Amino acid sequence: MSTETLTDGDGQTTSRGLVDRVRASPFLSRLLSNRLALAGLAIIVAMVVIAIYARLTLDLDVISRSQLGTNPNRAAPNLEYPFGTDGQARDLVPRVAYGAWYAMLFGTVTVGASTVLGVGLGIVAAYYGDITDNVIMRTMDVLLAFPSLLLALALVSIFPDSLGLWRAVAALTLVYTPRFARVVRGAALTVLENEYIDATVALGAADPRVLVRHVLPNCLAPITVQSTLNFGLAIIDLAALSFLGFGASAGTPSWGLMLSNGVSQGLLTGVWWWSFFPGLFLALTVLGFNLLGDGMRDALDPRMREAVD
Amino acid sequence: MFPKRFVLKRLLLLVPVLIGVATLVFSILHLSPGDPALTIAGERASQEFVERIRADLGLNDPIWVQYIDFLGNVARFDFGESYVINRNTTVREVLSNTLPVTLELALYGQLFGILFGIPLGVLSAVKQDTITDHATRVGALAGISVPIFWSGPLLILLFAQVLGVFPTSGRISSSFSVSAIRVTGMVTIDTLIAGEWDMFRSAVRHMLLPSLVIGIYSMALISRMMRSSMLEVVRQDYMRTARAKGQGAKITILKHGFRNALIPVITIIGIQFGGLLGGAVLTETVFAIGGIGTLLVEAIEVGDYPIVQGTVLTFAFLFTLVNLVVDITYSYLDPRIQQ
Repeated sequence: MSTETLTDGDGQTTSRGLVDRVRASPFLSRLLSNRLALAGLAIIVAMVVIAIYARLTLDLDVISRSQLGTNPNRAAPNLEYPFGTDGQARDLVPRVAYGAWYAMLFGTVTVGASTVLGVGLGIVAAYYGDITDNVIMRTMDVLLAFPSLLLALALVSIFPDSLGLWRAVAALTLVYTPRFARVVRGAALTVLENEYIDATVALGAADPRVLVRHVLPNCLAPITVQSTLNFGLAIIDLAALSFLGFGASAGTPSWGLMLSNGVSQGLLTGVWWWSFFPGLFLALTVLGFNLLGDGMRDALDPRMREAVD
Repeated sequence: MFPKRFVLKRLLLLVPVLIGVATLVFSILHLSPGDPALTIAGERASQEFVERIRADLGLNDPIWVQYIDFLGNVARFDFGESYVINRNTTVREVLSNTLPVTLELALYGQLFGILFGIPLGVLSAVKQDTITDHATRVGALAGISVPIFWSGPLLILLFAQVLGVFPTSGRISSSFSVSAIRVTGMVTIDTLIAGEWDMFRSAVRHMLLPSLVIGIYSMALISRMMRSSMLEVVRQDYMRTARAKGQGAKITILKHGFRNALIPVITIIGIQFGGLLGGAVLTETVFAIGGIGTLLVEAIEVGDYPIVQGTVLTFAFLFTLVNLVVDITYSYLDPRIQQ
């Protein structure tokens, strides 16, 4: 990086180095010139800030406990309670904020675990081929033969109730893994055709070294795009499982559970705010990930624009 | 020409996948915590009753015997009897009552998605990089991002509670009985066949909001695919040739562009059918429609394993079948992929 042209202080030196680096990368410069992708990134950053703030400042016990007697019950949104209060007089603002922490935490674990599993399986299948490839990919085909939410529902019943949202995470990890395995296998097969792979193998590099040092880094772009797009889906599916009663345990301030309470108890009595605010935050977060993921896909390969999965 | 070889190959490839699907569903029952016989019988059931259920389910046999039996039963589409939800009714019977409900919902959702998604996608592509295009694209992304269990309740509140235009739940007004005129199990079709116009109107009014909610997602996906496929096609040489020969822009886009651009969209229709079935589960819960989705949720809650197995397998078969049909259609329309 050429940083010597700068005359200002040290802080600027690094930032100039960064700018140069971004300019040199067609992926990053294309991504950063996409306003919609930037808007998505802004939404995600805002949600992460809310999530961390909620986790650090709010007491989970207090916001989960019934506040009957302390707060007005079923209060419509007003100046004191901008999102209103629910059937147990709990203020919805801290609950919705804490929901961001749950969505980010469990979304990250779900996507992280399925990325690691899927990448591992995909790369191994591509590299070893033959029977290994067939066994892995046919197993993935079986998992992909189910509509995803239904497979998640069926798998959730394997895990004990006491796990709460973690059993939804475990089920969804299994559901999402094949998507990553497929994409990564395809990407790895292309990388493996390169001569530098032959050269590395000829120089005597062991399999793990070839896979981790040479194949994996060159598959990172499609992996990142896939993770971002699936993050939005994971947050929706986690909420959906809670909504159907197979996720967060009662009282937990998760968006899906708040929506479920809002629909089952509040809808016909007209207390719209129980479901409106948690749902709004959920939809915004998912939109953020979809905007960013979409922009990343466009930036990665403008020709591949919007081809799904 | 009909691609016989391709179809045969695809059918053969399907066999291991279906066996795998059945194996997975079999394992789910055996991996579930607790004794299924005890779960089914309930905590306070007599010892003999638990034993009888255990024998009925074949739980006393060695695991491989159970597995072979299970595969045989699945091949005959026999999932046993429901134990909790509908005692002494075969799962097949329960499914034949609920599956049409879900299919009807999914089909209307699909129809909505196609009817609105394709024109929107074409519009977006033809007006590329204009306000119309941006609005359609952001709208489509929003459509994918909004969860059904949020848009559903909000639409119920707006149209049913506030405006009072549509009913809030169910499939038909409770003053009608559809069981007498049952043919397909889909209310909008059955009432039409019977010529009961009042009932038909009621069924359609009940169907409108749920299919809108479920259809937004397909519409969003289809319009995105249609747009990018259209943009791809517009740059093809044959389009330029047609224009160079003096054909008008509109006719070229419709006659040469549109028809070719439709081909990839067919794949999307298959892929998102799985999402549509998942969406049906949520939509049925929101609108209190008793379909296969609400059945599955209830069966998991109470531990009615034969129903869980039958439902999940039926969904997987259905999804696989739709994708098979899509693949075959695709290969028929674009013979290049048969190789």
